[in-house]
Amino acid sequence: MGLARHLVKRGVFLAFTLVLAIFITVIIANGGGLIDEILKSQIETELRQQLNNDPAYRRLPPEEQALIFNRTYNARVAARGLNQPFIEKSVRFTVDALLLDLGRSVELTSTSGSHSVADIIGERLPRTLALFTMANAIGAILGIWLGLWMARKALTVFDRGMTVLSVTTFIVPPWVYGIFFILLFGFQLRWFPTGGWIGVPAPRPGTLAWYGDVLYHMLLPMLTFAFATFGSWSYTTRNLVLQIMDEDFVTAARAKGLPERTVLSKYVLRAASPPIVTSLALTLISAWQGAIITETVFHYEGIGILFFRAIDAFDAPVVIGLTAIYAYLLVVTVFILDLIYGFLDPRIRALRR
Amino acid sequence: MRSGLVGFGILASLLIVAAAVPIYAPYDVVRKWNSLEPWLDNPETAAPEWSEIFSGKHEPRTTIYEDDAFRKVVVHAQVPGLNLTLINYTKSFYWDYDNFPSELSLSLAATFPGQSPLVEVYWVRPDGQYLQLTVRSIGGEYRNRSYVIPLSTDLAVRTSIRNWVLFEGVIPAGDVPRADDILPEVVLFAKNDSAQLNFRSANLLKGRYELVVRYTGFTQFDDVEGRFILYGTVFGLVGTDDQRRDLLTGLLWGAPVALLFGVVAAVVVVFVQTLLGALSGWYGGAIDTLVQRTADFYLIIPTLPILIMIALFYNLGIIAILVVLIAFGIVGSTTKVVRSIVLQIKEEQFIEAAQSYGASRGRILFKYIVPRIMPYTFALVALNVPAFIFVEASLSFLGLGDPMLPTWGKVLGEAYTQNAPFYGWWWWVAFPAAGIIYTTIGFALLGYAFDKVLNPRLREE
Repeated sequence: MGLARHLVKRGVFLAFTLVLAIFITVIIANGGGLIDEILKSQIETELRQQLNNDPAYRRLPPEEQALIFNRTYNARVAARGLNQPFIEKSVRFTVDALLLDLGRSVELTSTSGSHSVADIIGERLPRTLALFTMANAIGAILGIWLGLWMARKALTVFDRGMTVLSVTTFIVPPWVYGIFFILLFGFQLRWFPTGGWIGVPAPRPGTLAWYGDVLYHMLLPMLTFAFATFGSWSYTTRNLVLQIMDEDFVTAARAKGLPERTVLSKYVLRAASPPIVTSLALTLISAWQGAIITETVFHYEGIGILFFRAIDAFDAPVVIGLTAIYAYLLVVTVFILDLIYGFLDPRIRALRR
Repeated sequence: MRSGLVGFGILASLLIVAAAVPIYAPYDVVRKWNSLEPWLDNPETAAPEWSEIFSGKHEPRTTIYEDDAFRKVVVHAQVPGLNLTLINYTKSFYWDYDNFPSELSLSLAATFPGQSPLVEVYWVRPDGQYLQLTVRSIGGEYRNRSYVIPLSTDLAVRTSIRNWVLFEGVIPAGDVPRADDILPEVVLFAKNDSAQLNFRSANLLKGRYELVVRYTGFTQFDDVEGRFILYGTVFGLVGTDDQRRDLLTGLLWGAPVALLFGVVAAVVVVFVQTLLGALSGWYGGAIDTLVQRTADFYLIIPTLPILIMIALFYNLGIIAILVVLIAFGIVGSTTKVVRSIVLQIKEEQFIEAAQSYGASRGRILFKYIVPRIMPYTFALVALNVPAFIFVEASLSFLGLGDPMLPTWGKVLGEAYTQNAPFYGWWWWVAFPAAGIIYTTIGFALLGYAFDKVLNPRLREE
């Protein structure tokens, strides 16, 4: 019961957050009437093409042509609801975005040539998800392991050195390190590819060689990311573990004669895991947003670099669509972590009975 | 405490830089950051001067020979019906660097009241060979401005060099590339052997070179002044970018911009969040719920994408970006931290004492609780500054920062647009990135030191 209630409560809040975030996005984007303009110009282009292909229309005198054009154009603008009041329109655009109906891009296309924003983002999303999920996992595992070790050797030279290293590395986002790592490991030492998400020419998709190549291109971004995030984990874990080690139940476990390893992993880490998950949420949220620059630095063709390309081409529908997708991404991430939190925090499960 | 001192030292050094910048590069220099003219005398994408210690070669510096460096012999000749002015205008110099120059440029300011003068340019090499680079007449439109012969890119110059190579015959005619692919700054300075045309393997010929300009004017009042630039391969402390800009100027100006932006944003945001967090923790009830839910909401929404959208659609300057950033930071993690501290303080006895003598809730909050939280906010400000510096850098990287000011993020973004790492222009990306890291680590160490003082748990004994 407790877990279900916790999840429903969080679910309702997150759904509300998602709707509000996308509504804000729409309001900001359409504040200057930008979305209207884009849609109207798209209707105009489509209509012109359609009419010019019609031999009957081409034979008409120009005044007649203009009349027909205007009538059809106005009808279509009305049909798309662009003449509605601002708030009404905004609500409708929000609903469209929530249903992932993200409209058509101006310039950018997907690999298959589609202008649908959902297609463009859809083909890149798995790459971003794969890269940053793995990278976060590596950073977290490395950091927590280091943090435990630092807590065990608390106040030694090792602990102090690692603490300072942790605090100073995690404050800098991955893309800044990426710049140096690409120069050093990519161009100077040639250990890793210097960018891209797959080699040229690419192996046939789905083959083992393809997966291998994709993974090979992920290595340097992943390592960079792990380097930039491990400090946040080790620092948090160290402090939490030191705090928990003073608690009575740990002393009791030690008094029972349990080996230190068991005490650490079964008692201390167990108690430290809910707050660790909470801090994971913040790390992940900033990681997803940092992907915009990180992917650009690594020329990794995910949804982050798509921002860069869309800004360059002033492709407003793609930028708006990406912002909506980001809202989804962050909300879903937080919900998954809430799920994990619910399982880990005994206080929530205790409500079950 | 040592880390705190290091952090303090870093920030102090940045403050000194920020204070000294206007002396090295006054603001009007920065205003010209986006125009081409002020930087034309610098080499393009040149490495820092000190980088020559890696190669062990004495890399060429940019040498500019102004008019007074030239030797000028003027002869007035009278031919029936014509008053000629023949000027022999030469510059001889010794090339002792270990590398080829990166570019050559000659500009001539001619005074000619009459007909267009004729100009011949010759190149004399240490090995005794010489060749005509170009011969041309200066058109009437150049009466009031300099006539520039970009020796490195001029097709006529390249063609004459190609013809000279063919005439010398050391390289088989079949191996001589088209004129477009001749690099004058290499071939003119290379030994006359089979590698002369290959810019990677050409052998440098050190010695005395001479640039000869022969000017034939058609009145006795004709005159010419020249300017000869041998662009180097290295420049200054941190090199130049593709628009020949001195990156040091941009980097130095990046420091005060980043500091000011980060500190102002962090101070305002932490102050507001602290206040709201204290209100939320102290009053509880509906205010608490409202503030905490809003904070949760603000923490989850995609702030950077929304900021990008705003900057892209509304074309903001740096002040407007700051305002928007603060608007998106009125509640957040600091609110939550402060609230939890207030909840602890709330239970302490001195609060009870204040309540018992009838102090109002507002008085307790501002006279008793807020002063207790203040120390924490110092640490929080220091730890929040980097985040804002990075937001500004990210926006500038994407080309959405302030359109006028050179900032670290902007320099980095331009470097990436020009594919600097691919071409090996490491200084263009390494130094702005290093500036960002240096600054943020300063704040991180300072914040960490504050944190240790305030949280005895973390103190090292």
